[in-house]
Amino acid sequence: MEFYDVREIDGYTTAIAYDNGEVDEISEHFVTGGAVRALAGGSFGFTSVDDVKQMSSAVKDAIAIAKKLDRLNPRPKIELAPIQKIKKDVYRVKKRPSDVSLEEKQRLVKDIEAALRGEGITSTKVSYSESYSHNLFRSSEGDESEYDTYRTGFSCIAVAKDGANMQMGRRSYFNVGGYEVFDQCDPIKLAKEAKEEALSLLGAGSPPGGHFNVILDQELAGVFIHEAVGHASEADTVLEGDSCLEGQLGKLIGSELVTVRDDPTRLQYGYYPYDSEGVPSQSTTIIENGVLRDYLNSRETALKFNGHPGNARAGGLMRPVVRMSNTFIDNGDMTRDEVFEGVDGIYLKGSRGGQVNTGEGIFQFNAIMGFIVKNGEIKEPIRDVSISDSTLKTLKNIVRVGNDLKFSAGRCGKAGQGVPVGDGSPHVLVKDAVVGGSA
Amino acid sequence: MNFKHLIDLALKEGATEAEIFYSKGRVVNVETQKGSVGFGEESVSDGIGIRVISGGAFGYSSVNDPGKYEDAVRTAVKCAKARGRDPSLQGLPGPKPYRSVSGIYDRRIDGMKLDECIDTMAAMVSEATKDRDVSVTFGKFSSQVSETTIINSNGIDAHEKDTAAYGYIDVILKKGDQVSTAYDYDVSRALDVNFAAIGSNAAELAKSSLNAVSIESKTCDVLLGPQAFSDVMEGTLLFAINSENVQKGRSSLADSIGKKVAVDGLAMVDDGLIPGGLGTSAFDDEGVPTQATTIIDDGVLETFIYDSYTAGKAGRESTGNAVRGTYQLSPKVGPHNVRFEYPRSDVIGETKKGIYVNSIIGAHTANPITGDFSVECRNSFIVEDGRKTKPIKSLMMGGNAFQFLNNITGMGRDDRKMGAFVVPTVRVKDVHVTRGSQ
Repeated sequence: MEFYDVREIDGYTTAIAYDNGEVDEISEHFVTGGAVRALAGGSFGFTSVDDVKQMSSAVKDAIAIAKKLDRLNPRPKIELAPIQKIKKDVYRVKKRPSDVSLEEKQRLVKDIEAALRGEGITSTKVSYSESYSHNLFRSSEGDESEYDTYRTGFSCIAVAKDGANMQMGRRSYFNVGGYEVFDQCDPIKLAKEAKEEALSLLGAGSPPGGHFNVILDQELAGVFIHEAVGHASEADTVLEGDSCLEGQLGKLIGSELVTVRDDPTRLQYGYYPYDSEGVPSQSTTIIENGVLRDYLNSRETALKFNGHPGNARAGGLMRPVVRMSNTFIDNGDMTRDEVFEGVDGIYLKGSRGGQVNTGEGIFQFNAIMGFIVKNGEIKEPIRDVSISDSTLKTLKNIVRVGNDLKFSAGRCGKAGQGVPVGDGSPHVLVKDAVVGGSA
Repeated sequence: MNFKHLIDLALKEGATEAEIFYSKGRVVNVETQKGSVGFGEESVSDGIGIRVISGGAFGYSSVNDPGKYEDAVRTAVKCAKARGRDPSLQGLPGPKPYRSVSGIYDRRIDGMKLDECIDTMAAMVSEATKDRDVSVTFGKFSSQVSETTIINSNGIDAHEKDTAAYGYIDVILKKGDQVSTAYDYDVSRALDVNFAAIGSNAAELAKSSLNAVSIESKTCDVLLGPQAFSDVMEGTLLFAINSENVQKGRSSLADSIGKKVAVDGLAMVDDGLIPGGLGTSAFDDEGVPTQATTIIDDGVLETFIYDSYTAGKAGRESTGNAVRGTYQLSPKVGPHNVRFEYPRSDVIGETKKGIYVNSIIGAHTANPITGDFSVECRNSFIVEDGRKTKPIKSLMMGGNAFQFLNNITGMGRDDRKMGAFVVPTVRVKDVHVTRGSQ
């Protein structure tokens, strides 16, 4: 008999956007639907429908597709690792956003907007969003799970102008949970930081290009570990022969100061109690003191690499793919000051995103702001600084790791799907990194 | 389907104007796993977005469950009422005649079955793997058909059906300790593309990228292939010519109307009527007729692109540039098919010394406001005496997208459809490149 599993989602998203002090958008979206994945031999069949009343025909269709593929293009049989029978404690929302009035949310957004304003600021934007989903899972093997998730937060942008020079500062806070996320951060303080960032970027110079010693702040080092190491450790990519970490399990691939984990049980933006294959979530140590310990696995890849499943995630009603959750460089021994001590180079802060070529092991990421560092002291500001380098070389060149681990929320794209993730790190020092300049 | 009753309900609930955007899509998709088709999908989705004006402001809601259509109408009215009057809002557009467009629907794609998708994908893989050292790390072929209906209380009643076929392949080549990768893709409204050629293109590119050399940092002529050029311009130039960003003080071209922003002789046109264009449609996503808008003419900025809201705010006509990725989103300003007019020539053949860049990674990290970017180049080559000679290992390219427009010295004849762009290989002078890590 063929295997199949079924996911059903029912939820909503509310968005409020203020642009230059005026409401730009208030909207509410309802989303329901179901997705079915079936396996016959070595082939997967997949269907999704918006109308959950059609689920039983969707199951039949998915099985028919899998069987048809298996007949037309027979492939080696795929086995799936078993699902551990654990009932997870699911995070319970503290303040349901739907219990907070629209007026109160608008008041919060207006207060944030007011804090973005000031002399030199010509444009502001604040976006609030809350989303809720009820997630159901069941499989032909009798596994079942069910949970609710909320994700809530805001982002804000201030644009500063001085003659023809225009710069942007940005802050955001998103987390798993309801309206309580605003007790975890200080939105007004973050808005003021965005304003200050825009204003100080006006005075920042263009970066020099070349090879430098670089200190990365927590957000940027988190993006580095996500892009450069996280993606290459996704076992589906390894199996496709498209990872620079293929064949490296058990080997020393980086500095002994580096330990990297992926932990969906942490209450950060990439949190989930069960993945999209119904597997209870658990932490994975990817790199331990420089040694590659484990890839991130789905039920299919876990059997091949002797790992545990639990990292198959789907964006909405799309197919589950091996993904990260909350990925981070773990704390080292040094204080922030010790990381900076005596350094001549560049300090890079904040991320505008990054991208990786996993097969060749080359990554790129862009910092929002940077500073020249002389003898450990922060000097002139620079802007639009990118780093592009080899993953394996950079892992070896991490020579100092701080003890101030901090997470940032992000969205990660792979296979045309976006999922929420957390990236984290303490401050780190990388020697001899390639900085792309425009000056 | 008839949505008239939902418009009536919105008006009864207190809306002064209302609009329903309905879209329905079906996709048949196959993907490779370890080099052969191991995943097949057939999915359908449909839903409505409802936009209302109440109390002089917009409200928006969307839903995909027909049982909740009426709830969504009431929610949209509630959202509008929570906002307070928007003095810039001039109302929803009214009906105008549409021009007919061609080449956006192909019955063969509409009727495409799983087996045909598998065969097309298999042909792509087989072309890519003729050389045994090349393996396919990901391949995808999908066919999709969608229907759109827009009606509003001013009498717009628009309907269109279109199709698209999309093929993508990613390959890796390992020879000894050398590794190279490459990808290629193509997308078309009709089954008129030789998808198998995507496989051979990607394999050839990977092969020619092997045994790469390092080059020193310098400033030189760079030839940006269609992918690289569209990637650099998408997040910067398209951001700056968008009237919404202009009105909100985020476009660096805001004060440049009538001024020189690009090299002499260059024109940039957003043409929503190109036969078979990926962004071609008789009407935009709020039912306004689509047109060809000359944005830059002989190097001078002529206009921005507008939807009916930003046009109303600017006291002018919409350029038919309302777009929405899905029914879940309210319309925003966006381009259809942006093409360039500039003397065409054999740009590679006439280049004595330079660098050719096929694609870049990190394009989305460009600064949309300033246009500054610094990215990693992939599949790049040294160009000497009109020929691509040696592949380059790792290279960063930095600069400013707006400055690039002023430094264009040539355009090839190899126009390709790349998302919102139709672009050839473009030569830009005085580009700064930094030696990579390897």
